[in-house]
Amino acid sequence: MAEMKFAKSHEWVRPEAGGLATVGISKYAVEALTDLVFMQLPPVGKKVKAGESLGEIESVKAVSDIYAPISGEIVEVNAALPGQLDTLGADPYGAGWIVRIKPDDPAEMAGLMDQAAYDATVKS
Amino acid sequence: MTAGVLPVWWDDAADGPTNMAADELLAEEAERRGGLVIRLYAWSEPTVSLGAFQPIAEAEASAAIAGLPIVRRPSGGGALVHGTDLTYAAAVPRSHPWGGSPQALYDAMHGAMVAVLGMLGFDARLHLPSTNDPPGDALLCFARRSPGDVVVCRPGRSAMPTDPKVMGSAQRRLGTTVLQHGSLLLTTCPAVTAEARHDGLAELAGKAPEWTAKSLADRWTALVAEPLGIVREFQPQAFAAGRGQEIASRAGRFRDRRWTARR
Repeated sequence: MAEMKFAKSHEWVRPEAGGLATVGISKYAVEALTDLVFMQLPPVGKKVKAGESLGEIESVKAVSDIYAPISGEIVEVNAALPGQLDTLGADPYGAGWIVRIKPDDPAEMAGLMDQAAYDATVKS
Repeated sequence: MTAGVLPVWWDDAADGPTNMAADELLAEEAERRGGLVIRLYAWSEPTVSLGAFQPIAEAEASAAIAGLPIVRRPSGGGALVHGTDLTYAAAVPRSHPWGGSPQALYDAMHGAMVAVLGMLGFDARLHLPSTNDPPGDALLCFARRSPGDVVVCRPGRSAMPTDPKVMGSAQRRLGTTVLQHGSLLLTTCPAVTAEARHDGLAELAGKAPEWTAKSLADRWTALVAEPLGIVREFQPQAFAAGRGQEIASRAGRFRDRRWTARR
């Protein structure tokens, strides 16, 4: 499996076969939010720039933006996820994926953190 | 950044969209200054502020708040009916000690208010989760009870899990900052139908109030600053002063039905 990369804003992105990239939010972020109650996904076909909001997630008392870790076009969303938010906590790097993006520039991922670097930021 | 200072603005009454736009700018001010900032404000008329994802249909169908103007907050949580409350917005950079986890900023703001209310003779505390808690999806914020909300024991009674909530807050966690909205219910709100009203501090005091909104805010913001080792500093001008054009421009988004009825 290709290496997962992380943004400072706690999203992960993983290159997939066919040139697509899957995006989700880290286990740390899910645990920090606690008690998720609502999620809004972007429409398929939306173009996003790295750092732009691609969706929102609400916990009992906080709403957080989900930011695009890379630029590209949203080609698929995990439509089942808003109805099964527990999946985000149970399997944040698998069944809890949020969107698939067709990257504008696959090399953009090189600027993100690897797992070790991300783990170091959330522990500091 | 002005080191060692917690800037606090006390703003004149404004309508809902103007207040939301000002708070959006407040979050940017927190980033610019690199620390906690607080804006205290009032409303030009009784107004419902809806949580970021509360269904508009539920609010518009509610007899309890019928006819009141509605503005949607960027922050989460339940609907607040403003008019007899002390409303605040606080913002911190996410790198701030209170910006990391949602509960840190709640506890800082609410813990200081518990201390102030204690000084005024209230038996106040932070709410602990209970099996008696009402449903978490009730329309009105004061009909909900979340861990860390400020609750007050009724005079002459022992503490109960169902003690009334007098202060609640909700956050918007932005890319680099956290914006927290909150409300302290000073007195019950007559703009809400009688069966949906909640007791405020005046009703729960059991005696004539010895405080005003300003005196409460004075003590509260001073206590908020203490654990950070900084000093609260009321700003000589309203936050809106000098930012009127920018606020008016941004308020358009909050007036837009597409925002208010986004869900």
